[in-house]
Formats: sequence, structure tokens, C-alpha cells
Amino acid sequence: MSVTSPVSTTAVRATGIWKVFNEGQSNEVTALQDIDLTVEAGEFISLIGPSGCGKSTLLRVIADLTHPTKGVAEVAGMSAADARQQQKYGMAFQQAALFDWRTVRRNVELPLELQGWSKSSRAARAMELLEMVQLADFANHRPWELSGGMQQRVAIARSLAVDPPLLLMDEPFGALDEMTRERMQNELLRIRQETGKSVIFVTHSIPEAVYLSDRVVVMSPRPGRITDIIDVNLGSRDEDTREAEAFFAAVTAVREALRGRTSGSAARARVGEV
Amino acid sequence: MSDSQRVALQSVPGRPVRSRAAGRRLKRGAASAGWALLGILLAMIMWELVKAVGSVVPFPFNTSDTTMPNVWTMVNGAFQPEMRGSSTTVLQAVMMAAGYSLMIAMGGFIIGVSVGLLLAITMQRFAFMERGLLPFVIASQTVPLIALAPLIVGIGNRFSVGPFEWSTTYSVMFIAAYLAFFPLSVGALRGLHAPTPTSLELMRSYAAKPRQLLFKLRFPSSIPFLVPALKVSAASAVVGTVIAEISTGVRGGIGRLIIEYSREITGQPAKVYVAVFGAIILGLMAAALVTVIDLYLTRNLPKEGPA
Repeated sequence: MSVTSPVSTTAVRATGIWKVFNEGQSNEVTALQDIDLTVEAGEFISLIGPSGCGKSTLLRVIADLTHPTKGVAEVAGMSAADARQQQKYGMAFQQAALFDWRTVRRNVELPLELQGWSKSSRAARAMELLEMVQLADFANHRPWELSGGMQQRVAIARSLAVDPPLLLMDEPFGALDEMTRERMQNELLRIRQETGKSVIFVTHSIPEAVYLSDRVVVMSPRPGRITDIIDVNLGSRDEDTREAEAFFAAVTAVREALRGRTSGSAARARVGEV
Repeated sequence: MSDSQRVALQSVPGRPVRSRAAGRRLKRGAASAGWALLGILLAMIMWELVKAVGSVVPFPFNTSDTTMPNVWTMVNGAFQPEMRGSSTTVLQAVMMAAGYSLMIAMGGFIIGVSVGLLLAITMQRFAFMERGLLPFVIASQTVPLIALAPLIVGIGNRFSVGPFEWSTTYSVMFIAAYLAFFPLSVGALRGLHAPTPTSLELMRSYAAKPRQLLFKLRFPSSIPFLVPALKVSAASAVVGTVIAEISTGVRGGIGRLIIEYSREITGQPAKVYVAVFGAIILGLMAAALVTVIDLYLTRNLPKEGPA
């Protein structure tokens, strides 16, 4: 696991990332402006900000799904491109993007199949993961027979298939109802506890970011940049956390940071006081 | 497993769902067969009705027995010898011709589908190919078949590679393929472009190779587009075969038979109708073939409506 890896204890290091769309044209957009971000191994980071602040673009740069105009993204101590080739991260999106023509189990097997795993070993691995997301009973069902929350759990199992040290999640619970969403958050925290993965989680929801994260990275649009990073020290989470004073204080701190009122250090101080 | 064992297995309490579903499917199949028979019966009654009314009231078209023979005349005509003193009946001759044409149409269909698929894959893979090729693919269908047929026969007749000698039958197959490839290549191209941006990014995040992307995502995603394209292609192959048989004068197929029998319409009007029904059956058999392919390709996809 990456925690004990001698190469690096840094999961992600982004340095001086710029992303400019339609460069030199009249509709030029600076989606990312001079982003520096370091994620330690085992850390859970949320990227939050209004639409158009570049949080998804930043995630894509780290995933090597798009190239930065300037700057360097490193994952697990190697270039983002090498990290993608060597499957050093798993990805989940807002749409579960399960393949209708495959059973649930064979959807989880997909990344293993692409890596050339043998039939029996990938089936065993897929069942292990489905057990982890508590969907072993649905292994032979088709994705369309599952609810939205169940589909997302399959997608998470799939993103864990090759056992990557890092999970990149782009609003994975964005399309779920509030109750399902909270259950999924607990589920994700449990899985992360069990596996020790580092996570970068893109979200619109302030309570979600606070509940899940060790640090909340606040971004602002036009041009997309990091305006604040807020440490959240809530210890181990459970249902009571959602009603704790410290939780509300952190939510307030993030909200004010999003409005651009309070500086990060002041917000941190207040979270600490409670 | 013997049949009785299979029946026994299906009636075990643990697996009632499957047998009930099978029963429902059987019932639905019987119902649609019943409707089809009723439709044929209605068509026959309409035919006779038009004839009966036409014999009393003057119609703007000819309802006499030479142009619109009675249903029973047609049925009777089907079992007459094809020619005086010949041992085969009209029906047998028509069935043999339809079978021959079906073979040619299937050959054309297979070639057309293969070429269409290859074209679609190439066009999808290379954007410049799509820009360059697609206009030609579309233009290919604007060439009148009647003009094309003698050209292909003329060019083909000079063609031989080693022991392979071109025959006019291949020209017919070529024309069938020429008509069949178009709907397939256009449909398949749309289908190969069908995967959502998210699934494409997912595959990219897995560092999938182009071949894996094609077989594990693009091809399965294209099936909902491919199935209707296959249906149109099969119909085109049949129509292409019949028309090409007529315009090239190839013997043995249903197209030629329709031309020959239509010359005898004054003497034996039933014959040409039997040949036309032969062509219809040919079309239905092609449709049935595609339905089998359809059921196989879509076996893992969500069914529309309750299954």
C-alpha cells in the first residue's frame, strides 16, 4: 500500500498547473490558474466551488484525461501519464457509467480484464469487492436492475478493482437523493478506512465535503484558482458527527471561504476553538 | 438431458419464474401467429370482395380473372405442372428459385455487412476518413441500379484470378452487397459514436488500447443502432438480388422467374402471383434470419417493456 511505499508519501503533487481553453481566441477561458496542491498518502481531500471553478478540470489533469497548458501533475511519484498507464488511480464519475451488456460482476471485472487478468482471478477479485460494497447478492444482476445508489457502489467497487493507491471521484453522489447520499458517504468512509486509499473528491455540497474530508480545497471561478484550504479535524465520523457543533463550525468556515469573506487561517482558528 | 427431465426440472418449485416466463413467451408467440393468420385471411376476403364488387360496379381498374385471379385459382395454379408435361409443380419451381435467390441475397448481405462494418470502423477511427469517405458512401447510393448492373456484369466478365472465374451470379451478389453495405455502414458509424463521454473517459483512465476500446465499449454500444441497420440491409440485399437478377438476366432465381411467368399472364395468370408470393416469402425468410441475429445481439440488453 502507498502508505508504506518507500518511494513517496505524497499521493498527488500538482505544481503550477494552468489550463487555458481556446488559447489566443476571443472565447479564451482560463479554467485553472497557477494551481499548487499536494495530497499526502491516505489523505481525503475535497475540491469544492461553484460551477466553472475548474475543480473537475483539475481532477482530469491529475487523471491525465486532459493535458495542462502549463505545470506538472505527479501521481504516486511519477508523471500523471505514467500513473494512468500503470493504473495508479481509480476513477468514479457522477454517472455510474456501468456497461448495460455486462453483469454487475463483469462490470467490476472490466479494468482487470483490460489488464489481462485470468478469468478466475478477476472473478474472485470482483466478488471480494462486491462483498465490500455489500452487493455480492447482485453479482449476476444487470446494472439497470439496480437503484442509483447501488449502481454507484458498483462503480466504486470497479474503481478499486486494480487496488490503486488513489481514488479520483467527480461528484459521484451528485445524482442521488439526500438519504442515499448520506448512506453512501458513510460507506465511502468505511471503505477508505478499510483500504487506506488517498481520495480526491469533487463536490458541490458543503456538508458532504466537510463530513468526508481531512482538508477542503475551496476554489473560485474566472479564473479557476484555489482561494482557500480548510483543515477539518472532526476525528472519526459517525451519524452524530453530522449534528456536532464542530461539524457546523467547519461547514460555516467553508461557506464563508466560498463567499470569500474569511481567510483560511481565521476559519481554521474558529474550527479549533469549538 | 432428455425432454422429460427438462420438463421435470422446470416444474421444480425452486425455479418457477423461468418456466412461467417460457410459458408466457409461448403464449405470446401463438397469439402473434394467430393475428398473422387472421391478417392473411382478411387480405384474401378483401381480394375476393374487390373482385365480386368489380364484376357488378365498373371500377377504374381491371378486376377480371386474367389480372386478378381468384384465390383458389392461385392455390390451384401453384400445384399445376410448371410446363406441360414437366414433373415439377409451379410451387416447387418457385420455392427452388426463392431458395436460390436467398442464397445469393445472403452472400450479398454477408459481404455488404462486412464491408459496411469495416468502413464504419475506419471512419470512426480516423476523422479524416469520415470526412473523405462518407460523401462517397452516400453518393454510391444515388447511382441507378439499372445503370450499374450491366456495368458490373461487363467489368466482371473479364475478371478471373487463378482458378476463380467470375460468373454473372457473382455480379448479382455484388449488386446485393452494394445495396446492403450502405445502411449498415451509416448505422454502425452512428453506433460506434454512441458511447457517452463518461464511458470514453473511463476507458481512457484504464489506459485501454484502441482494440479494447473498440471491442469492449464501442462495438457493444453500437448494437441498438446496428440491429435496425441490419434489418434494412437484409431487405436491401433481397430487393437488390431480385432486381439484379432481372436486369442481368441470371437464370435460376426468383427475379428471372417473375419475368418469365409474367409473359404467361394471359394464359396462366396464377403463375406470376405464385412467383410474387415466392418473393414475399424470400423477404420474410431474410427478415426471420435478421430477427435471430437481433435476438442474439440484444440478449444482454434491457428489453423494452416487460420481458
